[in-house]
Amino acid sequence: MADTHHIIALADSLSACADALHARLMHAIRQPAPGGQAPAISQGAAQALFENEVTLRQRANSLYLDAARLAASGLDSAQQQLLDVTARARDAIARIDRAKDLIDIAAELLSLGAAVATGKPERLVAPLEKLKHHVDALLPTR
Amino acid sequence: MKTTRVFLLLGLLALLGGCASSTPRMSAVRAFAAQAPQLGAYHELTERYRTTYQREQPFLSAAADARERELDRQRQAACDDFVQLQRGVQAYMQALGRLAGDGAYDMEDQVKSLGDGIKAWPDSGLNEHHVTAYAGLTRLVARTVTRPMQEAAVQQLMRDGRPAVQQVLEAMHILLTLYGKTSDNEEKIVLGMLETELPFLDPRRDRLLMALARSQQHDKRVEYHLIAARNALAQKNLAAIEQSHRVLLDQFPTP
Repeated sequence: MADTHHIIALADSLSACADALHARLMHAIRQPAPGGQAPAISQGAAQALFENEVTLRQRANSLYLDAARLAASGLDSAQQQLLDVTARARDAIARIDRAKDLIDIAAELLSLGAAVATGKPERLVAPLEKLKHHVDALLPTR
Repeated sequence: MKTTRVFLLLGLLALLGGCASSTPRMSAVRAFAAQAPQLGAYHELTERYRTTYQREQPFLSAAADARERELDRQRQAACDDFVQLQRGVQAYMQALGRLAGDGAYDMEDQVKSLGDGIKAWPDSGLNEHHVTAYAGLTRLVARTVTRPMQEAAVQQLMRDGRPAVQQVLEAMHILLTLYGKTSDNEEKIVLGMLETELPFLDPRRDRLLMALARSQQHDKRVEYHLIAARNALAQKNLAAIEQSHRVLLDQFPTP
């Protein structure tokens, strides 16, 4: 992290230099040539100065990119760890969902038991089918 | 009559169980997880950073354009990695939200379907008392089985994720700062070019050009102002996520 901050500090100082240069340039442009409205400084000179300012800013931006890459690098393991942990959490969710299914199935079993208690076999069909479907649906996820 | 008393007791337990909803800690975890969509601003600003060259290009000299093209090539490659950073954190927060989910482990549906299932068979010999008792039992099972599992799973995830999450959030914060600094320089290149060229225009001959340049100056100022505000907000939201993550972790007992 220390390296990142050093690079950022360096880039910040380049940006500050560009700001100072721009202030000087604008000051020169605002000085009118004697006896006229046009700036005292020539357009060519102004463009050359501005080109320097742009170069400084590009250099600073290039350093910001270096710093950004440095800050984001070395995080592969952290990132991987995060994805691993999240994958494990998904497993945990699956486990808890099965507990919920267990209760679902318990309810269906009880319905089935109630159907059995009526002593009328034709009433068994619906709850039995429901339970079968439920268990079938659960198995492929395992 | 012993069974009736047992059923009554179970019914009472069921009522009590029904009252005890999700713990405050789980709702704090859910509140934390609900902040996940705010990470979208990071993605948006990364994409804006990626397209720096396109916006600068019309304002660059030939030499500056060549330098910027090289920088752009590096930036494109880096942005592919930068965008990934948020994915892990987002997955983590979403997993937490689902783990601590309010409705996910609410067994009322199951309890109700059980009651309905039994009521559907009036001549089964089972009466209301039995239904209530079964319902109570199911609630009891739901609470004793799933609630401690839920708390344990949330704690485990947060404890395991702690170092990685904090590291990635910190990196995202630095990147947002750097996007902001880069955007400041972009703004000064774009507006600076207009500002330094405008005074050399002839107000009569270049009237149209001056009008267009001034209008562009105005639009660009508004655009950069908005982007700076959006970046500041994104940094604030990220800091809030970091902060609430720390507070949540401190609430869990250390193992």
